[in-house]
Amino acid sequence: MRAGRYRSGPLVWCAILAATCLLLFLFQKILWLVVPFLFGLIIYYLLYPLQQRLVLAGMSRDTSAAVVSCVAFSMAAGAFALMLPWFGSHIVAWQASGTRYIDGGLRFIVTTIAGLEGSFSLAAKANLSDQVAHQITALSDKLAGAYLADAALTAAAWLPSLLLAPFLAFFFLRDGWRFKKFLSRAVPNAFFERTLYLLDQVDKTARLYFQGLIKLTVLDTLCLAIGLWLIGVSAPFLLGLITAVLSWVPFVGSILGCLLVVLVAATDYPGDPAIAYSAIGLFIWVRLLDDFFFMPLTIGRSLKLHPLLTVVMIFVGGAVAGVAGLMLVLPLLGVVMVLGETVGEVVTDPRLRARHKFAKKLRHRQVTRDLRC
Amino acid sequence: MLTIFQKGQLPKRLHELQQMSLFVGLTRREMKIIDGFMHERSYLKDEVVFDEGEEGQGIYLILEGKVLICHQGQADTPIAVLEAGNFFGELALLDDAPRAAQARAAENCTLVILFRGDFLSLMLSHALIASKLALQLARHLGARLRKVVRSDLGPL
Repeated sequence: MRAGRYRSGPLVWCAILAATCLLLFLFQKILWLVVPFLFGLIIYYLLYPLQQRLVLAGMSRDTSAAVVSCVAFSMAAGAFALMLPWFGSHIVAWQASGTRYIDGGLRFIVTTIAGLEGSFSLAAKANLSDQVAHQITALSDKLAGAYLADAALTAAAWLPSLLLAPFLAFFFLRDGWRFKKFLSRAVPNAFFERTLYLLDQVDKTARLYFQGLIKLTVLDTLCLAIGLWLIGVSAPFLLGLITAVLSWVPFVGSILGCLLVVLVAATDYPGDPAIAYSAIGLFIWVRLLDDFFFMPLTIGRSLKLHPLLTVVMIFVGGAVAGVAGLMLVLPLLGVVMVLGETVGEVVTDPRLRARHKFAKKLRHRQVTRDLRC
Repeated sequence: MLTIFQKGQLPKRLHELQQMSLFVGLTRREMKIIDGFMHERSYLKDEVVFDEGEEGQGIYLILEGKVLICHQGQADTPIAVLEAGNFFGELALLDDAPRAAQARAAENCTLVILFRGDFLSLMLSHALIASKLALQLARHLGARLRKVVRSDLGPL
């Protein structure tokens, strides 16, 4: 278990990758449970340090879980209750804003293409701006008609299962250690130390990943909010937060976030495309900062994966389980990797297997002692 | 929550643990915290607890029975036979060096294990408990060092 002593072979790695893909495929089938489970885990790892402080201060695990959950969920419920009247008064305005922002974004695209037509005669001859405007209008009508109602219904159907998340988080806090002990009790003595190490590593990997994700979201939100505020875009903090949360989904989330920022910037300043370009520039700068500076400091520490494998697995996750696969593939691979490497190490250790066999023989001899003549 | 302030009887295991030299100076509340991190295991006579050269992941405390410490394959000439109340494998808490000897149950025994990961997180988050444990470990290692030096010098 010392770093560098055990190296997984190609067979173990094939099993790790196959298990990750299989789990992604299965998770996609029970997404209604996996998504609240994932949010529950995020809440759990967010509250875990607080609970740990109470435990180390002498409080029992059950009481500390109840106290931390009560305080956190009461605060969240209180904040939601306070914001409810504000939501109510703005919901109609938001509906109008949605249309306004889409129109603003379309105008921005058409204006940009018209600018290109002025510079390049080839584009002018092709009548690019008219064609693009026509196609986008047709597409947005189709999208609104075909998918908007479905999207609203899906969101409504997801809401009850998402309410499971705080419920799950509470039980993770209260009974997580019991589950860990229950698992370790089931392990034979010969494999016990390594299993403890395995459980510790799985827990550490997941904890570092989710805590890293939360830190990354805070850093992204702050950077984007400050940048958007300096540019002069409206609601910079809200936009920064939504964009940072969207970037939990690799690639697709980043593109959606960028589109959102550009739509708002283009609508706020319809006659000044430079603002929208600045917003795009800011977005790219924050992404670069994220990839090369923040991510290695936060999430990168938890998953010691090769960059090529990371990118390939993100594509595989997307192909196997769509957007959910994109979001789940890295944490899942991290956990399966630790499990696979340790199980591989235990199973391929002849001494441990021999010790287990010997212990079984001793146990058999003990329970059959009085049966012998 | 009020149970924290109650001065009731300690559970049997906790009481036994508190008698051990490793936990000298720890309060009842601190013992309860430590107990939350402990894992109890039963071993049969002759069962191997750990092997010499194996990666150590935790310290073992003997609640019941006897444990034999010997070099690999030399169970007939043990280095030490430890009884209830003693502990072994403590070096694993300090570094990840391989185990220096084999531990084997000399009779049916019950052991309690403190895992290194838990000990390290305790070190990071509860300085008081960690410092008390570290002091006892240092005393234990010091005593052992003195014993080795004395035996090397021989009768003067």
